[in-house]
Amino acid sequence: MEFKLPDLGEGITEGEILKWMTKEGDQVKEDQPIVEVMTDKVNVQIPSPRSGRVTKILVKEGDVAKVGQTILVIDDGSGAGSSQSPAPAAPGPAPSVAMAPAPQVQSSGPSSGVLATPATRRMARELGVDIGKVTGSGPQGRVTDDDVRRSVSSRGTTTVTVQPAQPSQKAGPREEVVPLRGLRRTIAERMTKSLRTTAQVTHVDEADMTELVLLREAFKGSAEKRGVHLTYLPFIIKALVPALKEFPYVNASLDEQASNIILKKYYNIGIATDTEQGLVVPVVKDVDRKDMFELAGEIENLSQKARSGQLTLEDVHGSTFTITNVGALGGLFATPIINIPEAAILGLHKIAKRPVVRDGKVEIRDTTYLSLSFDHRVFDGAYAARFTSRVIETIQDTKKLLAEVL
Amino acid sequence: MIEADVAIIGGGPGGYVCGIRAAQLGLKTVVIESDRLGGECVNYGCIPSKSLITVAKLVDKVKEAEKYGVRTSGVSVDFVQLQKWKSEVVSRLVGGIELLLRGYHATVLHGEAEVVDKNRVVVTTSQGKEEVSCKNLVLATGTRTSSLPGLEFDGDMVIGSKEGLELKAAPNRVLIVGGGAIGLEFASMLQKLGSSVTVVEIMDQLLPGSDPEVVRVVHRKLEGKGAKVFVKSKVARIDKKSSEVEVEIETPDGKQTMAFDKVLVSVGRKPRTEKLNLAKIGVQIDTRGYITTDNRMQTNVQGVYAIGDVKGPPLLAHKASKEGIVAAECIAGLPSAADWKVVPDAVFCDPEVASVGLTEAKAMEAGYAVKRSRFQFAALGRALTAGEPEGFVKIVSDEKDGLVLGVQIVGPEASDLISEVALAIEMGATVEDIALTVHPHPTFPEAIMEASESSSGKPIHQLKS
Repeated sequence: MEFKLPDLGEGITEGEILKWMTKEGDQVKEDQPIVEVMTDKVNVQIPSPRSGRVTKILVKEGDVAKVGQTILVIDDGSGAGSSQSPAPAAPGPAPSVAMAPAPQVQSSGPSSGVLATPATRRMARELGVDIGKVTGSGPQGRVTDDDVRRSVSSRGTTTVTVQPAQPSQKAGPREEVVPLRGLRRTIAERMTKSLRTTAQVTHVDEADMTELVLLREAFKGSAEKRGVHLTYLPFIIKALVPALKEFPYVNASLDEQASNIILKKYYNIGIATDTEQGLVVPVVKDVDRKDMFELAGEIENLSQKARSGQLTLEDVHGSTFTITNVGALGGLFATPIINIPEAAILGLHKIAKRPVVRDGKVEIRDTTYLSLSFDHRVFDGAYAARFTSRVIETIQDTKKLLAEVL
Repeated sequence: MIEADVAIIGGGPGGYVCGIRAAQLGLKTVVIESDRLGGECVNYGCIPSKSLITVAKLVDKVKEAEKYGVRTSGVSVDFVQLQKWKSEVVSRLVGGIELLLRGYHATVLHGEAEVVDKNRVVVTTSQGKEEVSCKNLVLATGTRTSSLPGLEFDGDMVIGSKEGLELKAAPNRVLIVGGGAIGLEFASMLQKLGSSVTVVEIMDQLLPGSDPEVVRVVHRKLEGKGAKVFVKSKVARIDKKSSEVEVEIETPDGKQTMAFDKVLVSVGRKPRTEKLNLAKIGVQIDTRGYITTDNRMQTNVQGVYAIGDVKGPPLLAHKASKEGIVAAECIAGLPSAADWKVVPDAVFCDPEVASVGLTEAKAMEAGYAVKRSRFQFAALGRALTAGEPEGFVKIVSDEKDGLVLGVQIVGPEASDLISEVALAIEMGATVEDIALTVHPHPTFPEAIMEASESSSGKPIHQLKS
């Protein structure tokens, strides 16, 4: 049987084959994990649907396969798709070896039917692209240089069999080549796509955290009794909820094709989390319906799963707004990149004692900066400023915050 | 023993070009040539024949010079001087090839090569035997003239093209057996140099496979200048007398017996593979003995390549050269391939014939909705001022999208004109692209633009048909 890359979840159309856990010729059992696939969110292990012998692996590690693309052929005795395996020996005359025709050798160019200039055809050869399989975007369907380049970057649909171009593999003196693979590649693609497809602006404001610092101290003990470590994050999330409700365009996404802005009436907050492999964004769901301790527990759980590579697709799916917290690492503020298709992302930064003018006097207060990157297509700067002010207002007002967190 | 990355057997337009590119790419290269570098093309084909054809054309021009108001007092050809000049042209090119190969640090061995196995070639040079140990082998041995039973070459009265280019005088009466490219070039040339020419072709037209409309122009001109052309005909019998050959020609209208001073046989060629030991190294050949390869020029045996005429028709120097480059690049590990769409060809008869891509018939056979358009040189300023108003440009395009599928040209400078349309086809140009490209006036290529305009339905210098 032909094993096709299964549907991995909503909105996921392709995945990178990270690791084959079986090889051609191996016997596999039903439900035995056979391949690890990196989607744009998370790694998943896919089990074998049948027991049988692996006859052919069609997608190399590091290549991208589309959902529905055949990635493996398993001989499960059904015969279908097992043409690679030798046919059962039939009684009768032995095939005549001496008369076997010599391998067919092609004498004409394979691309003679392709509409492309000679230089484009050469480029395709150099990039290892079968130009016959590239869809041309030019007049009369001619294949342009860009079409060829695009087919290289979206390898998997067209070019599962080709080798990467040689020259790019060569390291210069005092250089090391690290292939862009797995999570790194996903991050590279998503970040580029975010910056390329949205109109991002970052609005920075300052928040006085003095009250919140005291508030967290006050709750730390009772949190520990419940077995959770209380950070500032649950407070900030709770401070966000009334603001997101009041400014619905921040908790939204733009459907460009349909020219619609989708306002989301649920509040799932993505938490950008640094791991050894790179950035992942687990999602805390329905934050408006959970109290601070529940949030603290969930965040802790998710970040542990993230660091040990245990996140499931469910864990990383469906965020409506994202927070990135780099406070522990220092710095003043940043320009976070929006986690598309969301409309905004909030950067949290180091809380430090800084001189602040209050009532005409300089005081030492705990302050921090908040960086809100937003998609200017969805809302404007004034809206962003008012939203951020609303968040800060809640953070700075212990009474209001208490009403939210509990 | 010489150790090499690549040994190339044959120094013709395939082999020497392959040698230069291989050496350029840093491969240790040996080119082995048993005769003279440049091969058939430079020594016994393209180059000497074009030299003679140029002179024949000049003679012809002088003969009709009076028409243009140029008075001459007769014209005669000093064949000794003509052959001397021709040999100088050839020698200069051969010397240039040797210089280039050595300049790129390829080794040239002059001698007969014998393949021992796919990594070993023994070359018999004037200094004795030299063994070449090679990682890759390129077979570029080309073809040799084939003769007809009953019409074996005798080097005197029955000759092949090689001897035809060494003639000491234009024969009074010459029979040319075979109306293909070589036969027709000889026919036009010898006619201009004063011979009475007869052509016998077994197929139903001259230049078999070419567009019949194109061939008609050449056929008519040959006959118009006094040649006899017999198609669907063959030589039934020859009788060599002391000073002439009596030939019985079987035509559809019955047998004719005619006497000739020379019979020039140009009925095709056959692969030159005797010393290559193909069976032993296991290289696959087709039913006619030509070596088969993939589009990287590699035979079915790893590390053994073949290029040029030894791979079979079309037998063209420019194709061999390009294949040589592909083979060298593949051996050097580059992702090269013979992926050109078309190989143009040119016949230097009178008027010249050149063709690229599909003919009208072949395009129809391939299932295209064929659109054809023509432009006659008679309506072109430059052709009239050159006194060469015969012929036309014919463009075969796809009715659906205007893509140029093929072009046939018969007329002045057809061999030079064809490259523009070869490029058009490689680039995937439409007739509109060519029509919209400004061509300088007054020049021959305007005919291509005019034919394209006609195909787009807006001809300027002809009435809409």
